[in-house]
Amino acid sequence: MHIPDGFISPQTYLPAYVAAAGLWTYAARRVKRDLDSDTLPFLAAYTALSFVLMMVALPLPGGTTVHAAGIGLLAVSFGGWMAFLAVSLVLAMQALLFGDGGITALPINALAMGFIGSFAALAAWKTLGRLNETVALFLAGWVSIALPALLVALALGVQPLIAHDVQGAPLFFPFGLSVTLPAVVLPHLLVGLAEGVLTVLGFRYLTRLRARLA
Amino acid sequence: MQRDRVYLGLYLVAVLAATLIHDPVWLAVGLALVLLSAGRQAANLLRRAVLTVLAFNTLISLSYIGMAWWQDISPWQTLLRLNLRVLLLTCLTFLFIARSNLFQALSLSKNLTYVLGLAYSQSLIFRRAHEDFRLALSSRSLKRPGLLDRYRASAAAVSWFIEKSLHAATQSSQALRSRGFFHD
Repeated sequence: MHIPDGFISPQTYLPAYVAAAGLWTYAARRVKRDLDSDTLPFLAAYTALSFVLMMVALPLPGGTTVHAAGIGLLAVSFGGWMAFLAVSLVLAMQALLFGDGGITALPINALAMGFIGSFAALAAWKTLGRLNETVALFLAGWVSIALPALLVALALGVQPLIAHDVQGAPLFFPFGLSVTLPAVVLPHLLVGLAEGVLTVLGFRYLTRLRARLA
Repeated sequence: MQRDRVYLGLYLVAVLAATLIHDPVWLAVGLALVLLSAGRQAANLLRRAVLTVLAFNTLISLSYIGMAWWQDISPWQTLLRLNLRVLLLTCLTFLFIARSNLFQALSLSKNLTYVLGLAYSQSLIFRRAHEDFRLALSSRSLKRPGLLDRYRASAAAVSWFIEKSLHAATQSSQALRSRGFFHD
């Protein structure tokens, strides 16, 4: 889902960096306060987990695969701020150490996937968790993909409106909202189903594992 | 350490400049300068960058050509600018990765360097393990694995990664505490 370099204008990524930097600072303080000296190793381990979850291919009927993101699983298991930091670190590592993704798209990706994705998943889990745990976990996984996809589509789709030359030709991403909304959101509504299943099964496994380790 | 911070600063300024310049000629000059800076690695750098952006940019470019033909406008200036900018930014990033040590550049914060170092090293281990899982499934299957087998393989891999993460976090925490990292 995440946007590569070169498609986002500075009018978009510079304010996004300001917003993301504020949230990163607050998240770091929250995580540090909540989890004492274990915070750093756990953050590093969950970042690596998030990194590898994004590599795991979830099979679909017909021989194709989609890639998991694990954002819903991380959010319901370790909290929204931890998930936000872990996903942001993964995106930063992918951009600056593995050359995948992009430094200009990093704040948009971090805000959409890390912040909105994590807290949307957490909200679904907290709101519906008491009624039906399985449905709540599934929706947490689904919404952690669907909502960020909508934001990414919006961020891409507004580029021709805010960055164009005197003739009206786009300077960055060339397609408007009428193209990006269906092209980005619709496939991710389906990808979210696989993510929902991963969140249900992953959370159950993690709960059992934690009980065994305790 | 100082050199790495200078590289990081130069990289960020160059990225900003590459998104503020819209003339394809100047974007091409920027790309040429980056390739000149890469020296003997220029061909390799360009090849890697092209391979990285090829799929996404081809899709975007072909779709835009179709849309421009439909709307009866010329797509070439926009496509040239877009592809040159993406290639320039990707080459810049690969050059930065090759020339500098990000851990040194960010060494102003002990915690940030530590988290990044640990997360990076574990990610490399996990990436290798992920490839091992993939090869294990294909080498043990006489024909293409079915949907159920692939589900089982993915589930086994995810459970292994979750378990490994919890153990790694606990072990790192204990190792650091025993060495006084948190009380310096």
